[in-house]
Amino acid sequence: MEWWIKLKSSKLFWVGVILLAWIAATNVFYGKSSTELSTLTNTPMSDWFSLGMEYIRNNRYTNPVFVYVINPIRSFVEIFVDVIRFVISSPSGSNVIPLVGWLGTLSVVGYLVYATSRLRFAILAMALLLGCGVLGMWMFTMDTLAMTLGAVLLSLAIGLPIGIWAGLSDRVMNAIRPILDLAQILPTLVYLAPLALVFLIGVAAATVATMIYSIPIAVRITAHAIRSLRTGPLEAAESMGSTRIQTLKKVQLPMAKRTIILGVNQTTLAALSFVVIAALIGAPGLGLPVIDSLMIRDVGGGFLAGGAVVLLAIMLDRSTSAAVEFSDSSDFLDEKAKSRRRMGLIIGGVSTIAAIFVSRNMLWAAVFPNQLDVSEPVSEWISSAALWVTDTFSFFTVGFNEAFTVSVLNPLESGLTGAPWFVTVIAVTIFAVLVGGFRVSIVALIMMLLIFSTGLWFDTMVTLSQVLVAGVVVLVIGVVLGVFTGRSERFAQFIRPFLDAGQTLPAFVYLIPVLALFGPTRFAAIVCGIFYASPIVIRIVADGVRGVSTNMMEAATSMGSSRFQSIYKVQLPASKRSVLLGANQGLIFILAVIVIGAYVGAGGLGYLVIAGLSKPEIQGKGIAAGVAIVALGVVLDRIAHAAAHREPKRLSVSKS
Amino acid sequence: MKLTTRNRFAVTVASAAAAGLVLAGCSSDVNDTAATTEAATTEATTEESVAPAEVAMADCGDWTIAMHGWVGYTASAQVLAEVAKSDLGCNITQTKLDEAAVTYDAMEAGSADVIVEDWGGGRWQDWIDRGAIVDVGSNGNVGLIGMYVPAWMVDEYPDIIDGTKLNDYVDLFKTPESGNKGAWYEGPPGYTTVGQKIIDSYGLDYKAINVGSEQALLDLFEKGQADKKPVLGYFWEPNYFLAKIDMVRVNFPANDWTDAAVASGKTDYPALDLEKLISSKLADSGSPFATLVTNFTWTNADQNSVALDIEDGMTPEEAAQKWIAANPDVVAGWMS
Repeated sequence: MEWWIKLKSSKLFWVGVILLAWIAATNVFYGKSSTELSTLTNTPMSDWFSLGMEYIRNNRYTNPVFVYVINPIRSFVEIFVDVIRFVISSPSGSNVIPLVGWLGTLSVVGYLVYATSRLRFAILAMALLLGCGVLGMWMFTMDTLAMTLGAVLLSLAIGLPIGIWAGLSDRVMNAIRPILDLAQILPTLVYLAPLALVFLIGVAAATVATMIYSIPIAVRITAHAIRSLRTGPLEAAESMGSTRIQTLKKVQLPMAKRTIILGVNQTTLAALSFVVIAALIGAPGLGLPVIDSLMIRDVGGGFLAGGAVVLLAIMLDRSTSAAVEFSDSSDFLDEKAKSRRRMGLIIGGVSTIAAIFVSRNMLWAAVFPNQLDVSEPVSEWISSAALWVTDTFSFFTVGFNEAFTVSVLNPLESGLTGAPWFVTVIAVTIFAVLVGGFRVSIVALIMMLLIFSTGLWFDTMVTLSQVLVAGVVVLVIGVVLGVFTGRSERFAQFIRPFLDAGQTLPAFVYLIPVLALFGPTRFAAIVCGIFYASPIVIRIVADGVRGVSTNMMEAATSMGSSRFQSIYKVQLPASKRSVLLGANQGLIFILAVIVIGAYVGAGGLGYLVIAGLSKPEIQGKGIAAGVAIVALGVVLDRIAHAAAHREPKRLSVSKS
Repeated sequence: MKLTTRNRFAVTVASAAAAGLVLAGCSSDVNDTAATTEAATTEATTEESVAPAEVAMADCGDWTIAMHGWVGYTASAQVLAEVAKSDLGCNITQTKLDEAAVTYDAMEAGSADVIVEDWGGGRWQDWIDRGAIVDVGSNGNVGLIGMYVPAWMVDEYPDIIDGTKLNDYVDLFKTPESGNKGAWYEGPPGYTTVGQKIIDSYGLDYKAINVGSEQALLDLFEKGQADKKPVLGYFWEPNYFLAKIDMVRVNFPANDWTDAAVASGKTDYPALDLEKLISSKLADSGSPFATLVTNFTWTNADQNSVALDIEDGMTPEEAAQKWIAANPDVVAGWMS
């Protein structure tokens, strides 16, 4: 019975057994202790949250925590951001333009980019910003820029010191690591309701929510930057009698500068993508026309707003990463280049001041000129193009959509929602033991029980079914394209801009074209999740494939493996860990988008969060749904994470 | 001199300081000139704000009108905004906000001041009790939400307007999204909806599907009429759309509520006077804008005419100004 012993030791076999057992149990007990709840019916936990929210609403101006901590923070953040908006985006009083008109702002941005990198990046930044104006979105773009800038400055003011501290001290790092881990799992949507409750709808809540989202990123990368320094120079510095502060200032920070600026880059992009969705809780800027276009299903208008977000994202990304490169190379400029640059800085400075002056005195330089605004023809063209696509390809947008819904999505959803909750909990727990071990299974069990106790098991399963479907598709796309990208340099070059764009785009922006194509359906939300999560999975898989040592590949080829065999037998098994890592990241990304997908008909937990924002009678249920989303995220993340990290390395994988 | 990072920083700071001086020092900037230039005023109009036509009226102040998602609301809010801007010289900002709690909280926080059409029937009471917002009466529109079907369905199935008999027609309304139940297209999450309660209390074999937006509902009904496709969906009047597409309301037995939060479910949506709510900041300010909002009232027909113009391609500003020009007496009546 050798095959039986072999089978018994295979994890895959036992996973299959659990799956079959779950299906069998579901069929036997189908619909028993089903937990479907009407949208407007509250649960004990949501009632409890409602009471808490009621308390906060009624005691906002008397409770000492609010009076002495939260309200002052709110005022400070609001004033801080409003000052920036006052300068570039929002005219105050009876003024028609902000303190600085469009030409002035454009020049300042160009000058700042030039001062931190090179002329061509400054020109690129100005061109991209100009593009936002050409799309008719200048004022919204300035609001978003101001919000992003305010949130990034505040985030760095908090995140950099904490990051440096965590980089220097293991104790601090261990204390904050769980928070950092959790922050990576939290979908953007769940930040909104609690923040809006505590800080009230408006600029302050939006900014604080953005900060909470982006600070962990700043902390993580800064700490990593300090930690990954080689110890040699540090020991040298210490042996030469440097104090700790001196070592930090003279050795560690300069050496870690590049990575820290990279952290600024990541923090900025995260803040931008959050500011867009924070329009739901009162953030001014490009999120407003995005939501607007979703509401009236205006594809053209959505394209303009989404396009401006993309241009702004590329602008911020390129400018900050150019600063990273320049910080590396600036010390190697020769004398001639330096004096040329000095001249450039002076000339640029003078012309920037001139531009600011003109933008305050000439109307054409103050208010973005209509002549440059091409928004109307573009929006009409896009709308009719979208209409043409939906009509022409209706076999796909309607036919495939409906077939897929009936044959895959509905059975999976009714299976997950119809299965008695305890059957699923037991199955998931055993599954977690198999792939992750005892500790992971305990975490999964606790989280599943937490979901059950929110009373929103049914809605959670609706969301989960969509996440799983999108996850499978993303994994297939990720592995296929990832292998291509990893194997072929030419293909990698070709796909890189798409991956870059995909990773800088805020998830919210994907909703508009998808809604236009597929209408308000769960399928639309799933497509959104696929688009959003694929780039990161492709990238991780490609990294893994590239990391497979050339020795192994040569050995395989010399033994006569075909190309397919060498992929299937060598590269994929060797990069299994990357594939699982990609699955982990992918699932988290997908969950974040599926819950936002409630705007295009996804239902489930996301719908409850959004409905809870506006319906007082189920506001507590919205918070409970947020808790369930987080718990579901933790379950998915821990299991996938464990699968990626516990996988024994049978084949040697070279570290790249 | 070697251009080190620090020098670069110094240059940046110096130019920033110089820029500051320019800002502080220049006396005749665009803001002063624009206010008096007719051409400038029109050209300088932006999404967010507008220069007052006459500086003398600047005592109205800066106010924010909350903008909800449906076209009828846009019509009312835009007329109010245009009158406030041109006749009172107010500086009006219009901010997209979802209905109810979102906006009430925003009003409490001071980031919104006016709701021109609230369908809540009392859900704002907590905020009024706290002194955050003030109810300044009906805007003259009477609202009626309900579940609607295209008119051709009533010809074919006369019974269908009796909500309690909907279970006889489940098969008509099945779609891939609703599975083996009928599709009950529910209003967007930010709207007043009790569909799920109605479904539960009458034991209807329907699945409430959130379509996300007013536009999605319009698309459904348009298709339902054109292709004779059965549709059961959330809709309401006043709505210009009812003049375009023939739709019939499905009726449920009498209603017993005005506040969706306490609706029993064995009920229909009631006819409601649509209310105007203002922030206590605006109420206490003594601004003429507060008077304007309090006096603002018009009919369902008025709103539909403006909404129809917007839907036919006019900008909200144009449509509002067209109505204002045609109804000077009504506008004059709001002023005092």
